[in-house]
This record gives sequence, C-alpha cells and structure tokens, in this order.
Amino acid sequence: MSPEPELRLVSSHEGADVDLLLQRVSRGDSKAFDALYDAVSSSVYGVARRVVRDPSRAEDVTQETFLEVWRKAARFDADKGRAKTWIMTIAHRRAVDAVRRSESQKRQDTYTAPDEVSHDEPADAVIEAEEHGAVRECLETLTDLQLESVRLAYFNGYTYGEVATLLEKPLPTIKTRMRDGLIRLRDCLEGAR
Amino acid sequence: MSTDLHTLSGAYALHALSSEEAEEFQKHLDACPACRQEVKELQQAAAQMGSSEAIRPPAHLKARVMAAADQMSQMPPRVSRSNVIEVPRGRWGARLLAAAAAVVVIVAGVVGIGVLQSEDEPSTRLASGVVEVFQAEDAHTATMDTANGGKISVATSPSLNQMAVDTDELPALDDKHVYQLWAIEDGAIASVGVLEPEKGAFMDMPGPETEVAITIEPAGGSQQPTTDPIMQVEPAAV
Repeated sequence: MSPEPELRLVSSHEGADVDLLLQRVSRGDSKAFDALYDAVSSSVYGVARRVVRDPSRAEDVTQETFLEVWRKAARFDADKGRAKTWIMTIAHRRAVDAVRRSESQKRQDTYTAPDEVSHDEPADAVIEAEEHGAVRECLETLTDLQLESVRLAYFNGYTYGEVATLLEKPLPTIKTRMRDGLIRLRDCLEGAR
Repeated sequence: MSTDLHTLSGAYALHALSSEEAEEFQKHLDACPACRQEVKELQQAAAQMGSSEAIRPPAHLKARVMAAADQMSQMPPRVSRSNVIEVPRGRWGARLLAAAAAVVVIVAGVVGIGVLQSEDEPSTRLASGVVEVFQAEDAHTATMDTANGGKISVATSPSLNQMAVDTDELPALDDKHVYQLWAIEDGAIASVGVLEPEKGAFMDMPGPETEVAITIEPAGGSQQPTTDPIMQVEPAAV
C-alpha cells in the first residue's frame, strides 16, 4: 500500500505537470483544467485528427475526451499509468469509436499502402511534439509487418481482424505482430530517454 | 491464464479489439497482474505514438470545452476497486450495523480506559478491546506500511470473531484532519468511524469479501471517502 517509486517512461517535466494538474482537476479546480487543456490539447487533437481525419469531428472527439477527463478525474488510478497516457488512451478510444460508428465514411477512405500511410499527415499539421523524432526513429526498428499492423490499428482504427484481412495474414500472426511491435516500440522509447 | 488471451495485450492497447473481446480481455486483466503491467506499458508506448502527431487545435475549441465542463458535474472518487459506490443496504447494511455497534463499544471502552490501563497494561494506551484481540490465543496479525509513512497492525481472532487495528504508529495529523475507517464490500462503502489513533479500533469480524480501509478526512469525518486510502486490507486474509 505504500507509494512505490517506479521508473517511468515519460520523464519530461511536462509529463509530471500533467499528473499534478489532473490531481487538482479531480478536486474540481477549473483553473487546473484550463492549464491541463493547454498542456495536452495538441496531443489529443492530433491523434483525433489522424484517426477521424475530419477536422470538425476531431474537434468533437477532443471535446468529448476533455469532458470525460473532467468527469472522471477522481477515478484516475495512478497505479495504471501516467495521467497523460490515461488522457491519450481516452482520446484514442473515442476517436476509434467515432470511426467505427461511421463505417461508411471509413470505407470511402481507400486503403493506402503502408509506406504512404506513415507519411499521411493532415496538410495543416503543426508538429509540436518533442517525442516526434524519437517515435519516428523507434517505429523504424519495427519489422514491416509489425509496423503495418500497429499503424493500421492505431491510426486507421481497424480491428485486428480487419487488419488480418487487409494484409492477408492469419489472425494469430497479426495479433502477435501488434504485441511484438508495441513491445519493440516501448523498449526503443525507453532506451531513447 | 490463457496464453491465447494474453497475446491480445497489443491489440487491446491499440483499441483493435471488438467491444466484446475488449470486455473479455478486461476481465482477464483483473485476474492477471503481469498482464496489467504489460498493458500499462504498451498503452504508454501507444500514447506516445499518438502524442507524436500533435497538432494545435483551433483556438475557438478551448472556450467551447471549458463552457461545457462548467455545466458538467464530476464523479466522486473511488476507494474500492469496484466501479460503483452505493449506499449500503440489505445484508451488507446489517453487517454495517454490527460494525457501528462495535464503534459504540470502542467509545464505551474509551471512557473506562484509564481504569483498565492502570490495572494491567500501563505500557499501552490501546483500548482494552484492541489488546484483547491482539492477545487472543488464535490471533493472526499483520503489520503493514501506510501510504503516508506510518505503520499499522491488524489482528483477527476467529474465537472472538473480532478484528482490531493498532493505529498507534500512524503519523500525527494536524487538528483539521482525522483518520477515518471504512468498510467496503462489493462496491458498497460505509464509514466505520473516525479513529483515535492512540487507542486503535476493533469490531466484529467482517465478511470474507469485505475490505477495511483508512483515509485521511477533514475533522469530523466524511460521509464518503474524499481521499485515497493510506491502507486497505482484507481482514479475512490476515
């Protein structure tokens, strides 16, 4: 029950600030919520844009994400990870849900070859993330199949079943590649710090 | 643990499972600490991948989000691992009444404590009922660290059908705060009472699924916990 000091992947001071801000938000502090928005809204909106594509729907996903953060701040469990990870997990889940709700919209997007997918950023992208370079370099350490599996799921919102169909590979293979790929990304990002 | 399920951790962290599969995997997580650790790390890697795509949102969005949050109530904090905090009722309510009765006994014991101590246990200020449980022939005891840097000992005695906590080694609080004891079962949580740390507390043995927790609360105690517990224990497992 004692608080366990542990090594965290995100060591930037921004990450620590987000944890403190979320603690204050959990007590209803709206100034802290304002500061939290400033700290993570670019990440939240960025992932929403990548997944749902449409700017106005990305705004909706961003709003839904922050409202869920506001509502559930007191339920955040620090044992399960950093505050920023929690917020990004909410944002990504909501973005994926939005894409799956409108299957038709998704089917309009023709599947792009993985090579191009990796450079498929919105035209007005303002990349501000300090981790951008590290993530890109680390993604290069993945095998092609790992990278395709991870990206199709994370950025296009496909289920692993859909990814298996798209890539014409057996389900267990895709399942394993997603896990291996993320493990490799995790290990590489850990080493990059 | 199913190895097959375990390999879904990557797809789970990427939200690449159907909602049914995700639900099933979550159940699996509840029973698998190693999987929880792996999911936590993979979610962090995924989140960093997402953050690397940061784009500044349009300026008008912030005002919209702030205004909407202003209209929205927040959920209360959770103390138990269950999702729901409910007002206790039914069988559980009956058990709480037993616990409340035990608190009355503590208060009664406190009144007479000076006399008892001068007679047999001058070295301790613990309530006699607490001492009795700790000294029972069949007592099981455990000592644990609390999140605020103190120690707490728990004793249970099947023959007395009681449990007790020795809270003498908890850090002193300022006069605006108190330690409060809670009983938690199946998502229901109820106050057992505000502690007097130097005296400890004892009560009827709670049911096998019940956990006991201590939080720090504003003076006078709270209706529901307002902070994370400094310790939490399942007395039946002591």
